[in-house]
Parts: sequence; structure tokens; C-alpha cells
Amino acid sequence: MKRQSTWLSLVFWIAVSLITLFPIYWLFVISVKPAVDLFTTPDLFLKSFYWQNYLDVLTDRTLRGYMWNSLIVSSGNALLVTTLGFLACYALTRYDLGGKESIFFWTITNRMAPPAVFLLPLFLLMTSYYRIGNFSLLDTKIGLILVYCTLNLPFAIWTLRPTLDGIPKDLDEAAYMDGASSWKVISEVVFPLARPGVAVTLMLTWVFAWNEYLLAATLTNFNARTLTTGLSEYVTTTGTEWGVMATISVFTLIPALIVFSLVQKHIVAGLTFGAVKG
Amino acid sequence: MADVSIKDVVKRYGSLQVMHGVNVDIADGEFVVLVGPSGCGKSTLLRMIAGLEAISDGTIEIGGRVVNDVPPKGRDIAMVFQSYALYPHKTVGDNIGFPLKMAKRPKQEIDDKVGRAADILDLTKYLDRYPRALSGGQRQRVAMGRAIVREPKVFLFDEPLSNLDAKLRVTMRVEIKELHQRLNTTIVYVTHDQIEAMTMADKIVVMRDGRVEQIGTPLDLYDNPQNVFVGGFIGSPSMNFIHGHIRDQGGKHFVSDEGLHLPLPETSASDGQAVSYGIRPEHIGIGDSGIRMKVVVTEPTGSETQVFARSGDDLIDAVVKDRISARPGDEVGFIIDPARVHLFDRETEQRII
Repeated sequence: MKRQSTWLSLVFWIAVSLITLFPIYWLFVISVKPAVDLFTTPDLFLKSFYWQNYLDVLTDRTLRGYMWNSLIVSSGNALLVTTLGFLACYALTRYDLGGKESIFFWTITNRMAPPAVFLLPLFLLMTSYYRIGNFSLLDTKIGLILVYCTLNLPFAIWTLRPTLDGIPKDLDEAAYMDGASSWKVISEVVFPLARPGVAVTLMLTWVFAWNEYLLAATLTNFNARTLTTGLSEYVTTTGTEWGVMATISVFTLIPALIVFSLVQKHIVAGLTFGAVKG
Repeated sequence: MADVSIKDVVKRYGSLQVMHGVNVDIADGEFVVLVGPSGCGKSTLLRMIAGLEAISDGTIEIGGRVVNDVPPKGRDIAMVFQSYALYPHKTVGDNIGFPLKMAKRPKQEIDDKVGRAADILDLTKYLDRYPRALSGGQRQRVAMGRAIVREPKVFLFDEPLSNLDAKLRVTMRVEIKELHQRLNTTIVYVTHDQIEAMTMADKIVVMRDGRVEQIGTPLDLYDNPQNVFVGGFIGSPSMNFIHGHIRDQGGKHFVSDEGLHLPLPETSASDGQAVSYGIRPEHIGIGDSGIRMKVVVTEPTGSETQVFARSGDDLIDAVVKDRISARPGDEVGFIIDPARVHLFDRETEQRII
């Protein structure tokens, strides 16, 4: 009986995995087929590989630039947001601030509106107001990083707070008594203990920025365009280059998969960190 | 080493005042225990000495220097926390050496001092372990090690033994006392356990509701409690209190509200004065003479027997060295030595004799 239920659950989860992963497999299949084969009767299994799409994408300087932009923007955003979120949570959990619960709740309110709501005001602000001389934030990597900050920072604060709450304040006090400065308390005691939570936050905010399309498409023209927006450029008036789009999509997926697999262990630890008292 | 002087210290949280002008003088090398029930302000006072809690009014001096506005790191003190507060990501050696690392001492010196502290505390073979791999008593010793490597002027202990089991608590009590004798550093020690206070202290400060009730040596508090609270708090089992008044008919004696007549020593208390009569269980003898009372429960512990007996609503507890054959319901005689009687005013709860 027990053996049978084990088999059943195995079959079930294999089926679920196949259904979930099939689109990714199909994406790969499209990316390694020549355009003429795309609309013939599809074969489930590949008979040959056509690597030209990959060569095209890798040798395309514009696309390489997009990839670079995506890397800079997501990494810059994740680092900035996690640092600020960590410090904000440190203050929120360690100091007696008036109305700190309200502040904490208030930070999340901007995640409650759909991001599209902010498109128009952000576009106008970035073209006409947020500028010094000829420099405006529109179509710059720093501009995009800052915009993502407004959306990611609340998220970072909410994911980091349970982590910091879970680190006993006695440890801070012990470190103060041992002669540590505030900075040393953070660098020697609080940060090392918060590492799993910090890793999860870094990764999730990184993936958010890497995958973001809407704001990037509106607030960049050419210089700061990211890989996701690059995709749409292959839908043209003369036709859609499915193969190249699929290849770019594969390239978009790879870093996220790598990052996820690296910190998968921390995610589980990090997401339960506040709930389980050690 | 240094003396600590606490003068008129007040603590307020907003409009709520939790400490009402506390005065304590702690001499150089003295072992002082702050004791009292939870919420009495003893831990707050300790944290004010440590610099973890701001002082609303009054002054605290360490070694003749007012430290009100000095941060913890500038006070040259070390503290052992109730939770031990060991850094879980650092080894035992790194935990003990942390204060020296913060003081930017050379590595050689850190290693030497950590080695010596580990030696004193019998932790040498655990130096490379992490705190999670240690027992409660070992963690406690690591916390003490971290405090002693600094060679501070004053040690602060915040209920350090309350997370240990009863047997280990006795062992650690001896170890802390031994450490004090060896280092001779001023110690301020907070506990809610009066036995810890009695056994360890040179001087006990009994606190209640943010006020000092009495300061004295352990035996002084035991023999001469200033009020009902101290009388009841110090000593185990607790002092018996019986409410009643003085009757003067030729000689003075005490009559309880239940009509129980009890002997008194010489006293200035006047006829009819409402009083609380205090007698410690160990100062009551049991025999055929004395005041007749009905046994409710006997609790033999081997070395002694505790007898609870009743007369009306008055419940009296006696502890005797002999083994008692009396069973619940039997009548026994309670013999009270008048010289051991404490008398407190019923209104003010202050000591009369």
C-alpha cells in the first residue's frame, strides 16, 4: 500500500514537472531550428541542431550591449536595494522609532498599485524634471536602477525584516559591551548572521530586475535597453524572427536559472528563517 | 578595579517612571547582588550601569568618573547575559577573543589571553567548537570567558544561571564565587533567586517597584529585615506572617485576628497596635508544650521536615531537623523563641522589632 502511494506521487510529480518545464523545452527547440522548419508539423524530439541563431545573437553587438545593460541594471539594483533594505531593517528592528509599524506598512503600499500606473508620471519626470543640464535620467542605466529601487526596496525590506527580527538583540548588546562600534556590530555580528536572508533578497530582487519588461521598454530608447526589451525588436513590419527571439529568451533564462540553483538551499532556509526559533 | 556609585538614579519611559531615586554604593572588589521579584527594576539598573539603558536623572559613577553619557565601550565593564549572547557564527576561541579583537590587540596577545581564560574556565579543548555544540554550563563559561579576557573594572551579571538546571546552578554558583575570589574584581550581579543572593553576595540590594527596600550583608538582611517585604523575600522557606495586634495585660503578647496568642520579646509597641507578627519556620520548635496547632501537611526531605499547621485561618510553617511522626489532623505544640520574633507595623509594614 505504502509502496503504491510512493509510486503514485512519483508519477504525479514527474507529470507536473513535465507540464511545467515543457514550454522551456519548446523554447529551446524553436531556438535550434531554422526558420523554414518552424511552421511545419512539429516533432517532439529534435533530429538536428541548427546553431545559427545562437551565432547571430552572440555576434550581434547591439544584443551584446543589451545583455551587458541587463547585467549592470539587475546587479546594480540588487546590490543597492539589498544594502538599503538591510540598513532600513536594522533601524526598524533595533531602534525605537515612533510609528515604526506604520513606516513598515507604508513602504509596501507602492507595491499595491500596478506598475503601469507609474509609467506616464515616471516618463514625464525623467524627461523633463530629473535632469541636470543636458543629463536626464531617461534611457540611462542609473535611471532604470533607481526606478527599480522604488519597486524592489519595499520588497527587500519585507523579506529582510523577519531575518533581522530573528537575530536576538542580546547579541548586539553583547557586542556593544565587548567594545564594538555600531558599524562593527553590523559587520561582525548582525550581517554574518543575516547572510541567508540577504542572499535570498539579493537573488529575488536581481531576478525581478532581470525579468522586468514594462518599465524598461518605456523608460529606455537605445543606450540602456535591456535584454527583455530587445526581444520585442524582433517583431518587425517585415516579419517576426522567431528563432532569434527564442534564442534571446534562452539567454534571458540562463542567468536566472544559474542564480536560482546556486542559492536554492538558502531560499528555503531564508524563507523560514523568521518562523523557526533556533 | 573600581567602585561604583549610584546616586538618585531615576528611569522614565515617557511619562511612566519605573525607578524612583535609587542610591547604592559598591566598594572596590565587592560582590553586590541586586535581587527582587520580576519587574522590580534590578535588570534596568544593571543595564543603566552597563550603558545599554539611558539614565533619566541622577548619576552613575564608575571609578570616580560620572559615566551617564559614556557609551558602553568607554566604561571598561563587561557583562554576562542571561541568554549568554554568544555569537553563533564564531568559535569558542573567537567568542572569547572578540573584545580583544575589538580593542585591536595584537594577535599574539589575543591568543595568549584567550588561552589563559580557557584554562581558568576549563574550556581549552572546546576552543575550536561552535557554541551550538556546547552544553548549557559550557556556554555559560564561554560567556564568562568573554567577560574576563578584557580584565574590566567591573563585571555585570544579568541572571546568568537562570537557564541552567538546578544541579548545574549550584556548581556554577561556586565557580562564579571562586572566580571573584581569584580576580577580586567588583561584581554587580542580578538575580530573582534569593538563595543565589544569599550564597554569593558580600552585599545584597533588595529592590521592589523601582525602589531599594534594604541594603545589607546576607545575614544582616536575614536577621534584621527592615520591612515585611524583605522579611518575606529573604530566607527559604519564607517567613510566617500572622496579622493581629498587641495586647498588654501585665506583660505584652500578640493576639492574632483568629485569636491565636503568641509570645513577644521586649517591645515599645503599644497596647492595641495593629501589627504583623513574623517568625521564620526554622525558628519554631515542635514539642508537647507550646501553642497547640493542627497539622495540615508534613513534608519530609530527609535532612529536615517541614510542617504546615493551622489554628483557625492562621497557617504556620515550621522546619525542624527531627523527623516528625505527626500525621495530618494530629495536634502538635509549636514552640516559638520570642527572641527570634519580628514585629512589623500593619499600616507602614516597617519593622518595630
